[in-house]
Amino acid sequence: MAASLLQTPFSLSCLSNLPSNSLIFTNSTLLSLHLPSRTTTRPNRLSLKANVSLTNNSPLTTTSTSGLSDNEKGKVLLEVKDLTAVIAESKQQILKGVNLVVREGEVHAIMGKNGSGKSTFSKVLVGHPDYEVTGGSVMFKGENLLEMAPEERSLAGLFMSFQSPVEIPGVSNISFLQMAVNARREKLGLPPFDTLQFYGFLSPKLAAVKMDAGFLDRNVNEGFSGGEKKRNEILQLAVLGADMAILDEIDSGLDVDALQDVAQAVVGLLTPTNSVLMVTHYQRLLDYINPKYVHIMEDGIIVKTGDISIAKQLEEGGYKSISPA
Amino acid sequence: MASSTFSSPFHLHRLTPTSPSTPKTRTKLNLRHTSTPTLLRATLSDPLVLQIAETLEDSISTLSSSSSPTLQKLRDTSSESLLTMSWPTRKDEQFRFTDTSFIKHSQIHPVSNPIPTSKSDLVALSADTQFPNLLIVDGVIVNCLSPFGGLPGGVFVGPLSSVSSEVISKRVLEFVSEFHDGDLFWSLNGVGAPEVTVVYVPEGCRVEESLYLRFYSSENGDVGSNYLPMSNPRVLVVVEKGGEIGIVEEYLSGDEDKCYWTNSAMEISIGEGGKVSHSYIQQQSVNAAHIKWTYVRQESSSTYEHVEVSTGGKLGRHNLHVQQVGPDTVTEMSTFHLCVHDQTQDLHSKLVLDHPRGSSKQLHKCIVAHSSGQAVFDGNVKVNRYAQKTDAGQLTRSLLLEPRATVNVKPNLQIIADDVKCSHGASISDLEEDQIFYFSARGIDSNTARRALILSFGAEVIARLPSDSLRKQVQNHIKGLLNPASK
Ligand SMILES: Nc1ncnc2c1ncn2[C@@H]1O[C@H](COP(=O)(O)OP(=O)(O)OP(=O)(O)O)[C@@H](O)[C@H]1O
Ligand SMILES: [Mg+2]
Repeated sequence: MAASLLQTPFSLSCLSNLPSNSLIFTNSTLLSLHLPSRTTTRPNRLSLKANVSLTNNSPLTTTSTSGLSDNEKGKVLLEVKDLTAVIAESKQQILKGVNLVVREGEVHAIMGKNGSGKSTFSKVLVGHPDYEVTGGSVMFKGENLLEMAPEERSLAGLFMSFQSPVEIPGVSNISFLQMAVNARREKLGLPPFDTLQFYGFLSPKLAAVKMDAGFLDRNVNEGFSGGEKKRNEILQLAVLGADMAILDEIDSGLDVDALQDVAQAVVGLLTPTNSVLMVTHYQRLLDYINPKYVHIMEDGIIVKTGDISIAKQLEEGGYKSISPA
Repeated sequence: MASSTFSSPFHLHRLTPTSPSTPKTRTKLNLRHTSTPTLLRATLSDPLVLQIAETLEDSISTLSSSSSPTLQKLRDTSSESLLTMSWPTRKDEQFRFTDTSFIKHSQIHPVSNPIPTSKSDLVALSADTQFPNLLIVDGVIVNCLSPFGGLPGGVFVGPLSSVSSEVISKRVLEFVSEFHDGDLFWSLNGVGAPEVTVVYVPEGCRVEESLYLRFYSSENGDVGSNYLPMSNPRVLVVVEKGGEIGIVEEYLSGDEDKCYWTNSAMEISIGEGGKVSHSYIQQQSVNAAHIKWTYVRQESSSTYEHVEVSTGGKLGRHNLHVQQVGPDTVTEMSTFHLCVHDQTQDLHSKLVLDHPRGSSKQLHKCIVAHSSGQAVFDGNVKVNRYAQKTDAGQLTRSLLLEPRATVNVKPNLQIIADDVKCSHGASISDLEEDQIFYFSARGIDSNTARRALILSFGAEVIARLPSDSLRKQVQNHIKGLLNPASK
C-alpha cells in the first residue's frame, strides 16, 4: 500500500456500477468517493456508507485483508485496559481506569459531559506531554503504544485531530504537510517528495475535503476560523492516512455544509481495516458516520457502552436519562 | 515606560564641526597635539586608540587616491573626535553587555593591500545576482567597471574619487560625516576608510531594481594567530526629494576559519518624500568581528525601511541611529538575530523624533541557540517635545534554546511630547511545547520541528526582505546554520 503514495490518483467513476455491498478498491484516493449529495434521503446515505469499503490509502497500512467484508470479526486494533493518567504538572488524576477495545473497521463514538476526560483520553493515546500515564496498558496493532514516542505513534498509523489545533506562525500549511508526508516516506524507505511531486500528490486530497488551495500557503492554522481549522485537521488525515483516527469534536464549530463535507471525507477514509474513534456531543455527526458503539464517559471512565440508540436517548433526555450500565 | 537616559561617555566630546571651507591639513599632529580649547579639556586617554588611529592613517596615506575635500572633512572630524575616546569597557552603558576585548587584545592591522584576491574569485562573487551590484573588498570597490544598466540616468553609484558632477560633489560634502553622536568605531572608520562609496539618487528619481552592495574581507588571520586585519568600508547614500532606492547591504563570510574585523559605516540622507528600503544581511565568518554603523537622516514625509538579518561574526554589533529632521516621516525597523555559535549579536538602535506626526515601527527578534551565545538589544525611541502625534511601536521577542544562552534586551521609549501613541512589548521564551507536539503528532521528529519553528520565528522579519531571491538566499543560509550536516 505504500505504493499508493507514488501513484497518480484515478477517478473511480465506475463506482455506481458495482454491487453496493462489497466495494473493494485498491490504491484509491479520496477523490474516488462519490457519496450521494445532501439532497439524498438519509437512510440511503447511511446504508451506502455502511457498505462502502475503500482500501486505505495510508502509506503505512501493512495489513492486507482484502476481501474481508464482514468486519464483525476484525482483528483488535486498539486495546485499552484500566488506563489511568494524571496531569503531569499537578498530578491531578483525570483518567480513572478506561477500558476500550476497537477492532479493525469499526467506528466508535465517545460522548460525555464537558470536562469528563474525553480529550484527555484522546491526547494520552497520542502521547501528549501534558499527561502522565500512571497505570493500565494500551496495545496498538499488537504493540505497546505507551512505550512509543508521539511521532512513532503517528508513523505507526495512529492519528488524532485536535479539538483545538495550535497555530504555527511562520510555517506554511503546505510545508508542514510536506514534512509530515516525507517523514512517513522516510520511514518506508522511500525518497522524499520534492515540492512539485508533493503538489501532485496533494491536490486530490484537497479536493476531497473541499478545501481551497489558498489555505496551503497560509501558516498552519494561523487566523483560520474554527471550522477551517477542523477541515484542515481532516486534510491532514486525508494526506497522511491512518489505521486508527481519533477525531476530537471534529463537528463542533462547523456549519451544515462544512459538517457534510468533513463527514464525507471521513467516510471516504473508512476501509475494512481501519477504524475511527469520534468524540462528539451531537448526534448530527453520528448520522453521517454511523458508529457501531457509543461510549459514555464520566469522570475519567467509560460508564456505559451501547449502540447508536444511546446517542438518541441523550439527544432527547440529556445525560440524566442515561443510567450507567 | 520612559526609562533611563544613558550617559554615554561619547557625549563629552561634542565638537563644533570643522568648517568644510577651511579644511585642516591632515597630519598625525592632529592626533597628538591640539590647540583648540575644547580639546584641551579632554583627556588624551587611550594610547591603544591613538596607536590604531596612527596605523590607520599610515595605511591611508600609502594609498594613491588623492584627497578630496570630502575625504579631508571625514578624516579631520574623525581624528579630532578620536582624541577624546578610549576603548569601551563593560562600564560604558553602550557596551555593558557587549565584550569587545577580544578585538582589543588582538594585533590589529589595517588591511594593507585592498585588492589581493585573484580576479576570478571576485567575478564568482559578483556574478550570482541579476541586480546591479558593487563588490567592495576590504572597503574598496573592485568591480566599478560593471555597467549599471539597471540604473536610471542621473543616478551615481561608485567611488567618491570618480564623482564628476559638481552638484553631487557638493551634496556629498554636505552630508559626509554629518553625524556627531558616533562612538569610537564610527570615528575609527572615518579615519581608516580608504574611500567613500557614493550612492546618489537625484530628485524625483525612482530606482526600480535594488542595488546590491556586497562586502567581502580578503585579508584575514588564522584562528589563534592573534592577527586581526581591519577594514573600514564606508558608504554614503544621498536620496534627493522624492527619490527612491532599495539598497541591499550584504556582508559575506569568506573562509569560516579566518579572523578579520570589518568596521563598517553607512550614512543615509533621505530628502523630502523620498524613500529608502535598506536590507542589511550579515553572514560573516564566525571568527570575525563585525562592527557596523548606520546613520539615517530623514526629511519630512520620507520613508526609511530597514530589515536586518544577522547570523555571522564572533561579535556582530549594529548601531542604528535614525534622526528625524522633518514631520510626517515613516520609519520601519525589523531585525532578526540568530546565534548558533559562541557569538554575540548586538543591536543598539536609536530613533530621535523631533517633529510632529512621525510614525515608527520596530520589530526585533532574536534566537540564541548556543549555551555561550548572547543577544543584546538596546532600542531607544525618543519622542521629543515637538514630536506631537507620533505613533511609535516597538516589539522585541527572544527565543532561548539552550540552558545558559542569554539575551539582554532593553526596549525603551522616552516620551517628552504629550500627545503621542506609543506601544511596546518584550517577551523571552522557549519554543512552544504545544507547537512541537503538533509536529510530533503528525510524525515529524522534534529536531525537524525545532528547525522549522526556528525558521518560522525569523520568517516574520525575513518576509520583509524586498525580493524573493534574497529571502530564499537568507532562508537557505539559516537552514544551513541550523543543520550543518545537510550543508
Ligand atoms: N493540561 C491540563 N491542565 C489542567 N487541567 C486539565 C488539563 N487537561 C485537562 N484538564 C482538566 O481535566 C478535565 C478533563 O478535561 P478534558 O479536556 O479531557 O474534558 P473533555 O471531556 O474533553 O471536555 P469537553 O467536552 O469540554 O471538551 C477538565 O476538568 C480539565 O480542566
Ligand atoms: Mg474535549
